[in-house]
Amino acid sequence: MEVEATPTTAVSSSGGAAQLPPPGPPAKKKRALPGMPDPDAEVIALSPKTLLATNRFVCEICNKGFQRDQNLQLHRRGHNLPWKLRQRSGKEARKRVYVCPESSCVHHDPSRALGDLTGIKKHFCRKHGEKKWKCDKCSKKYAVQSDWKAHVKTCGSREYRCDCGTLFSRRDSFITHRAFCDALAEESAKARAEAPPAEDGSSAAAVVPPPAPPPPPPPAPHHAEQRNEPETNATEPVQFAPPPPPQVPALSQTSVSAAKVSASSSSSVAGTSQSLLGGMFAPSSMASARQFPDLVGGVGRPERALPAKPPSLCLATDASSSIFSAPVSAERQQFAPPPPSPSPHMSATALLQKAAQMGATSSSSSFLRGLGLDVSSSSPGASSSGQQQHHQEAMQVSLPDTSLPQWPPRLETEPAPMLSAGLGLGLPYDSTGAQVCLPELMMGQSSLFSGKPATLPELMMRDGRAVVLQPIVQRLAPPKTFGAGRGAQTTLRCQS
Amino acid sequence: MEQELRTGGGGNLRAAHSSVCFSGGLIDGPRIQQLLLHCATALESNDVTLAQQAMWVLNNIASSQGDPSQRLTSWLLRALVARACRLCGPAGATQSAAARAPAPWERAMSVTELAEYVDLTPWHRFGFTASNGAILRAVVGSAAVHVVDLSVTRCMQWPTLIDMLSKRPGGPPALRITVPSARPAVSPQLDVSDEEIGLRLANFAKSKGVQLEFSVIKCGCPSPSPTSSPPKKQAALCQDLASVLSDRQSLGLRDGEALVVNCQSWIRHVAPGSRDAFLDADADLDSPSLATRIAGCFDFHWILFDALDTSAPRDSPRRVEHEAAVGRKIESVVGADDADGAERSESGARLAERMRRNGFAAVVFDEEAVGEVRRLLSEHATGWGVKREEDMLVLTWKGHGAVYTGAWTPN
Repeated sequence: MEVEATPTTAVSSSGGAAQLPPPGPPAKKKRALPGMPDPDAEVIALSPKTLLATNRFVCEICNKGFQRDQNLQLHRRGHNLPWKLRQRSGKEARKRVYVCPESSCVHHDPSRALGDLTGIKKHFCRKHGEKKWKCDKCSKKYAVQSDWKAHVKTCGSREYRCDCGTLFSRRDSFITHRAFCDALAEESAKARAEAPPAEDGSSAAAVVPPPAPPPPPPPAPHHAEQRNEPETNATEPVQFAPPPPPQVPALSQTSVSAAKVSASSSSSVAGTSQSLLGGMFAPSSMASARQFPDLVGGVGRPERALPAKPPSLCLATDASSSIFSAPVSAERQQFAPPPPSPSPHMSATALLQKAAQMGATSSSSSFLRGLGLDVSSSSPGASSSGQQQHHQEAMQVSLPDTSLPQWPPRLETEPAPMLSAGLGLGLPYDSTGAQVCLPELMMGQSSLFSGKPATLPELMMRDGRAVVLQPIVQRLAPPKTFGAGRGAQTTLRCQS
Repeated sequence: MEQELRTGGGGNLRAAHSSVCFSGGLIDGPRIQQLLLHCATALESNDVTLAQQAMWVLNNIASSQGDPSQRLTSWLLRALVARACRLCGPAGATQSAAARAPAPWERAMSVTELAEYVDLTPWHRFGFTASNGAILRAVVGSAAVHVVDLSVTRCMQWPTLIDMLSKRPGGPPALRITVPSARPAVSPQLDVSDEEIGLRLANFAKSKGVQLEFSVIKCGCPSPSPTSSPPKKQAALCQDLASVLSDRQSLGLRDGEALVVNCQSWIRHVAPGSRDAFLDADADLDSPSLATRIAGCFDFHWILFDALDTSAPRDSPRRVEHEAAVGRKIESVVGADDADGAERSESGARLAERMRRNGFAAVVFDEEAVGEVRRLLSEHATGWGVKREEDMLVLTWKGHGAVYTGAWTPN
């Protein structure tokens, strides 16, 4: 299956003649490429203004604008058009896909276009717009009003709590977790030892939504007083009945790791206490009401009550009681400024220029060194403390004394904060053992290349001169931070 | 001066006279893809210089902690570098996998971590939900059900099935779950044995009032060592599977049971030639051309990367594990040109065709099952959708097909 290198093109034009669907059952539907919904679709690129314009559909007769095409059609009927004008152009038959106007966005690429206008509008608002809609209960923010509405409906409404303390918003996740959780194993062990097990309703508590928790300082006393009540009831040996609505926002911002920690530490905790809450908190002694103020107050003294868990696990200092683990953290973390990305200062051209000067290396270890990569290390940057480090590792090469002939000197003066100087690999050698100098390298005449004229450097040049580059360079936009498109550059008011 | 990228000679990337120029400014998605393809072409033609140059540029762009494009590029680049090193010669290149310390995402997970991993996005659970719906319908009236489970997610699918069965009007059937001891050596890796999983599942089932019998079939060959080459592993696995699946006795089939064979992400590990017997990723990644496969990888895997970006923070360990899992798949797809040694997934359409050829008829998913799937998707980020495609269900992210699932029954 061939894959086209160029996606189905640029602005408002398509890559093929419009095709009418075959009559009757299609013999063989054209199989879309992975990730490409419809190769014949017409790609539409709208400007942000047009995209968000509320009345995109305009009646050609009276110029009245409508939000939706259906509404426009209804309206047009009212004009009593003669038969010919009633038909719309054949363009409607073709599927349309829309790209995001934000150039750094992944959906700016036609092969990742979205299939409907509403979808791309919402995406644009969500990703590149300002989040103007805020949930009262959990302070999550949304750029699209319908997202906000949908969230508010479900916020805090359903929570499933496992004996180990983890909270779930999705029932399937809860069931799966519970099946494998240590807490269940212990319960069964206890049950077998003591009494016939009660109905398994203990954790499937669809609890009443907890009252919106106040901002950080107050939760401590607030929780203490609420928890005292359930605690006094929960001292039977086998506690399977659901506790009164737990007011515990069990997850903190680092809830993903917290959940993991809670699961693993529950095994060390369990077996010694018998109440549900005790199982969550007390490492060695029976949880009692008296201990709670200690625990609650123990945000700063985690070692006593919560041996392995971060203190914020049980006593979420974060006001949000939302039990969405990953998504919530994601939301919050997205608001923090994203870490600086690599190569913000290098334009495409500059990078290619530098690449073009690199010579070939013959052995794989120097190949790696030349690239500044070390495949044996743990990751492409994951272990680093930031992209900066990763970046500097990559560019530790030194400028040789055999200078670069004739290459525009601008390269040396070009600001390149991520790189320390140029090359250290040496220039390629041709079959006679002489060093090949750059212009030849550029032109790809060297015998090093296996007969294929298409090389990266050549790709930038015509006639052995940097002709193509000059115009490119002149048109260089000021360097943009890669991936910086996330923050809203303009204020967008997004509704629905 | 042209603003767009263009390649001459139609879609054939190996055309000798490509002239490409990048207009100034940002390197973004299409340009990254172009670079990757150039790199692939260079590798295919043994042009080390060009490959190195392209990699150099890519290395500047890629980041495993950046945005989805950067992250995906970093994994693709890793795979390309690994392949290039083999190209340059074995001398002094990469240390063997066994020698270096495992990265954080490579270490084995606990069961609860795996449960979390599986539920980060609907990627896996989509198939679970749809399949369970189909299974439920298929075993109506049966007093005994036997599930032979060939999955990479180690029984994560079954708790919800057990739950559904426990509520079946008329009472639950007696359930048996059988897993083979051999499995593809891919992530996610668990730190507990199959037997332990079985124990917990049985425990859970009991708490729900469902009788569960769990068995592990010992496969003939011992597990291939981690250092054996992919083709050998592949062959060993095929052999194991074939021997297990064809032997009624070893499977422990019993009369009067409804038999369900659950195949999740396994098909791709079985060599194309012997795939005759469906949760799998919806992409044809088995072209003999490296460039095509890379383009396919980029076009397909960005879907999950983008979805993960919406569902988890950048430093989320579960997210990184997902991305690393994709990275491994990419390495497999990129690494070897002959399909026998590596992971080669095929699209839903092709699998369906294969099943039909072998005498199976598709079972349509009923509205209830689809409803359950929709309910599941509504619990996740906006952007996930489901569509029907020729008797199969396809999970979509922002309209792009991601994962397909199908059910078949013998004619």
